Amino acid sequence: MDDAIDCDVHCAPESYDVLFPYLSDYWRQYITEAGVRLNGMAHAYPRGVVAPAPASYEALAERVLRGASEPRIVVLNCLTGFETHRNPYFAAAVAAALNDWLREEFLSRDSRLRASLVVSTVSPDDAVSEIERMGEDPGFVQVLLPVRSDLPWGHKNNHPMFAAARAAGLQVGLHAWGRAGKAPTPSGFTTTYLEDYLGNQPIAQAQVLSFISEGVFERFPELRVVVSECGFAWLAPLLWRFDKDWKGVWREVPWVKRRPSEYVREHFCFTTAPAHLPSDPVAIDQVVEMMAGSAALVYASDYPHEHGDALAALLGRLSDEQRRRLMCGTAADLYGLAAGADYQIR
Amino acid sequence: MRVVVAPVSSFSDGERRIVDVGGRSIGVFRVGESFYGIRNRCPHQGGPLCLGHVLGDAVADAPGQAAVVSDPLRIACPWHGWEYDLDSGQSFMGAAMPGVRSYGVDLEPGGALLERVPGPYVAETFEVRVEDEYVVLHA
Repeated sequence: MDDAIDCDVHCAPESYDVLFPYLSDYWRQYITEAGVRLNGMAHAYPRGVVAPAPASYEALAERVLRGASEPRIVVLNCLTGFETHRNPYFAAAVAAALNDWLREEFLSRDSRLRASLVVSTVSPDDAVSEIERMGEDPGFVQVLLPVRSDLPWGHKNNHPMFAAARAAGLQVGLHAWGRAGKAPTPSGFTTTYLEDYLGNQPIAQAQVLSFISEGVFERFPELRVVVSECGFAWLAPLLWRFDKDWKGVWREVPWVKRRPSEYVREHFCFTTAPAHLPSDPVAIDQVVEMMAGSAALVYASDYPHEHGDALAALLGRLSDEQRRRLMCGTAADLYGLAAGADYQIR
Repeated sequence: MRVVVAPVSSFSDGERRIVDVGGRSIGVFRVGESFYGIRNRCPHQGGPLCLGHVLGDAVADAPGQAAVVSDPLRIACPWHGWEYDLDSGQSFMGAAMPGVRSYGVDLEPGGALLERVPGPYVAETFEVRVEDEYVVLHA
């Protein structure tokens, strides 16, 4: 098959026990004595519809790497860091342990694998330390951040994280969900799981607004942000209004020197799962046209989460070249991976 | 066509006068010792452009590192904030976007205006003197 880079495949340790080799005595005791447990992001997906994320290289190899649509490169997203509670010292220790585990369990065993770097989502300074410790390992391609954050990610307090990421050659992966206890909408908590489940889309929009309005890409012109598992069909109307309102109130943000949509097109990518597409093929064409083409889209299976056959419907409406870019080329450029070449990383 | 707007001595720094020139509404602005004339109709949606604020450009080297500079000066439409260079009328979105017509404004001595030039002194009741300088709009 053609080359493919799958930008969002999940993996997660089954329990904190798996991380014990990478944690200090203090944290092992902390976990054991307090009964701290992982729930496998069980709150995030409808009960019973998904398999647990692969917890070992063997499981990943059997279920993803040897599958019928075998991808050439897989970017692993371990959301376990999103489960960590508000203790900043614990969050930093777990992030480091997860990265050590990712490297030992997956990255060091298969040159087709890459991963997002897990960082503390509580303290930007701890995130910087972890990026500096591990970010230059060639197995890591981006810093993993949840869409649900304490502050919108564009806030200046988070800029040192982006500086560290670029110094290490990393991009940013902004993924659905966030720490338990973070509001799933920009205006607070929801009453129903249904709202919570759909909430990743509007909160991703709020993050897009933040990155642009706070001038992140003026400070870090090489930074790219991959928005994972939050859809993309909402982008065009957001940008219509964003450009329009920026014209009227640009003086508040004179560091935003171009139309917001231009920054978005240069700096953001969106994964294809879930796709949030209409069922009418002509309407799919219109969505792609309104997004000024498919250049912002990168392929992701979101394994083991099943989102239906929207990707096939989308690919069926694209040219061969657009398909190649979406499946591989755009992500290869984004992450500095040589498309179609030898992917050996060490 | 020349239109006398007002004696310079009555036109203070920061002031504007909006004049009707054969059905065209035109704003005349004084900023320091400079005078500007610009059409009082925003190309965006026809708003009363010359009722807006005159603002120096806002610049920023980095997020949060913002300053206001006096060049270029722009007028911001009170309806939607679209801005135009007060001197050239060019849109703040660049030359590819519709600009607004700007007009030259001179100071001329009253002695040069002895021929029939429309202006406020025709209709006003105060004494007309020719020894002063007048703000003259070239519309």
